[in-house]
Order: sequence, then structure tokens, then C-alpha cells
Amino acid sequence: MGETGRYLYVVTRDLDPAALVDLPGLGGGSLELVEYEGLLAVVSSVDLDEYGEEGLRANLENLDWLEGAARCHDAVVQAVAAVAPAAPLRLATICLDDDAVRLRLREWHAALVQILDRVQGRSEWSVKIFTDERRPPAPAHAGGSGPDDERPSGAAYLQRKKADTEARLAGETAALEVVEQVHETLAGYAEATRVLPAQDPRLTRHEGTMLHNGAYLVEAAREPDFVACVTRLVAAHPHVTIDLRGPWAPYSFAMLDQR
Amino acid sequence: MTEGAGATPSTRPYYATSPSRTAAPQPANLADILERILDKGIIIAGDIRINLLDIELLTIKIRLLIVSVDKAQEMGIDWWRNDPMLTTSEQGLADENRQLRERIEALEAADGSGRGTATEADEKPEARSG
Repeated sequence: MGETGRYLYVVTRDLDPAALVDLPGLGGGSLELVEYEGLLAVVSSVDLDEYGEEGLRANLENLDWLEGAARCHDAVVQAVAAVAPAAPLRLATICLDDDAVRLRLREWHAALVQILDRVQGRSEWSVKIFTDERRPPAPAHAGGSGPDDERPSGAAYLQRKKADTEARLAGETAALEVVEQVHETLAGYAEATRVLPAQDPRLTRHEGTMLHNGAYLVEAAREPDFVACVTRLVAAHPHVTIDLRGPWAPYSFAMLDQR
Repeated sequence: MTEGAGATPSTRPYYATSPSRTAAPQPANLADILERILDKGIIIAGDIRINLLDIELLTIKIRLLIVSVDKAQEMGIDWWRNDPMLTTSEQGLADENRQLRERIEALEAADGSGRGTATEADEKPEARSG
């Protein structure tokens, strides 16, 4: 290994170091804690040939490398979040040594404490809503390109067009109403919510259209109610697919106000 | 690279999980993970300075909806042609992209303040007095 840097995964507090035993860091490095006034940064040493500016720029263009790094980073964050409040850091936050890590903890101390207070005892849940292509909610009446349509005659054509438009709008409106209702209902069980942009099917390989990509910060004590509520919503809205994931580290609720 | 215990392969269809399954904190798919570790979480400048937005792979994968295929091709980025993760017919991709661009234009036209509004509005968690 050439020169090394300290890769930061997550900031936490009151962490039992046993939680990190047997958990590998990037490149198999061992996880360590850097402390500053009650805050703990979970770090590991990384080779700057691989994680320096030049190396990173090249490696991040490699999907396999990116996926490996992303999953490792996430695994560390999740392991910490399972036992302690966690403020996950963005991928590829690297300092040259522990003093530089402590400097960051000192600089952002108040904001980090505030974030840890906000997420303590809470987890992030993801709820996505998809249209179900196999069971379209508002099946437009058949036709549209049959032989009869080639020479549409006045009134019939307009009438059909109007009906098509109405059916489409009704379908869209119904879907939006479902999204709104599901989100409002779940928000009642959450301490905070965020609506994230819909993901692209080429990334997720999901079928149908993603209508909603919501993140919900839920108290541990309310998780059973939240999950039960999702189950009820799944039953109440058979024409869409509601996908629940979690509990996750509170990524979407651990953000500093600055950039 | 090591994955978390019980990791599912990222190639598994996202959709395949039963809607209400919550038994274990199953690993997110790659899109979920990237969305969070690149777009969310704490941003603290380290000593190694790297602007993730300069990384075309990330820019395109994460911001697939706002970066046009044409622009990417101009920049010489065409990896998706061979990327099994993003296998889509070229025509389908072009069509979808055109539709998306039209939609973005329509949205921007409707909302005078233009692009970026959604992202900014998304910055702060919406407080709820649950």
C-alpha cells in the first residue's frame, strides 16, 4: 500500500466498538473510531492510489468499483445505524489523517449533534408506488389504430378522442390521488418525510411507472404501526404496487444545511 | 468487495419483492443506495477533493432524468450501450429521452422559476408533528 488516507463512513456517538468487529471496511481495511468531544467518526485506511483524487476520478467511472464501494459504505453505515444514532457521510469523504478528521468533527460539531438528536431512535423507511402495468387502473377502450380508424369521420372521431382523453385524465388523477392519500396517511406515522425524485427504470429495472418515491423517518416504537399501515394501504389500493423497504440508516434526514 | 449479510444481487428485479414484505432490513438495490450515498447524507469536504458531479457515470446514472443522451454522447459517454444494467433498445432510450425532455420543458415552461426548483425544495425535510 502506498500513501494512505482516512475514509469517513458515518458520524455517531455512544457506539459500542463491538458493533464494528468482523465488519470489513473498503479494501478490507479495519474500521476504527476517531473521537472528538463525544462525536465518533467511523473510519478506515484507504490507499490513496485508489482513493486519491486521480484514482477516484477513474474508479468512480467504473460501475463495478462504484457498486462495491457503495455497498461497503452502506453496510458500515447500516451496521452503525442499527445500534446507535448515525449521520452517514456522502460517498468518498477522505481526510489525510486522524487530526484532519477531528478538525472536521470540531468544525461541524453543533450541526452533527443536532442531526444525531434528530435521528436518534428513528429509522428511514422507503415507500415507492408504481403503476401496475399488468392491471392498468383505467383501461382505455380498445381501438386507436384499427382499420376503422384510418379515415376517422368527424363526430365519431372527436367523441372517441374526447373519451380517450377523459379516460387518461381520470387514470392520472386517480393515480395522483392514491399517491397523495398514501403519503398523507404515512406522514401521520412519521417524524419527517421527504419526497425524492422518481427513479429511472433503467437503474432500478422496475416495471410500470414510479409514481412516488417517499422517505419516512419513523420512531422505533411506531414502526409496527407504520408497517401495518402500509399493509392496509397495499390492500386498499390493489391497482398500484406499493413497495416498502427498511429500516434504513436515516440518509435522507441527515443533511447539513450548507453545501 | 464485501457486501452486507444477506445481500441480494443487484440484478434481481426490484419489483419482485412482495409489496408488504418487511421481515428484515433487506439491502437496498443499487439505485436506492446510490441515491442516498450520493445525493443525501452529510457533505463535509475532506482533504481529497472530488466533485461527484464531475463524474459522468454518476451524473448520468443518478440524474438520468435531466441529462440528455445527446449531451452525453457529445461528451463521448456511451457506456450504456454495453451496460447490462441499463439494457434498453437504443430506439427506446432515444424515445424515452425525448419524451422526458419534452416533459421537462413543459414543466419548466409552466413553472417560471425553471429548473432546480424541485431540488431546492427537496433540501429540507418537511417537518411533521407526528
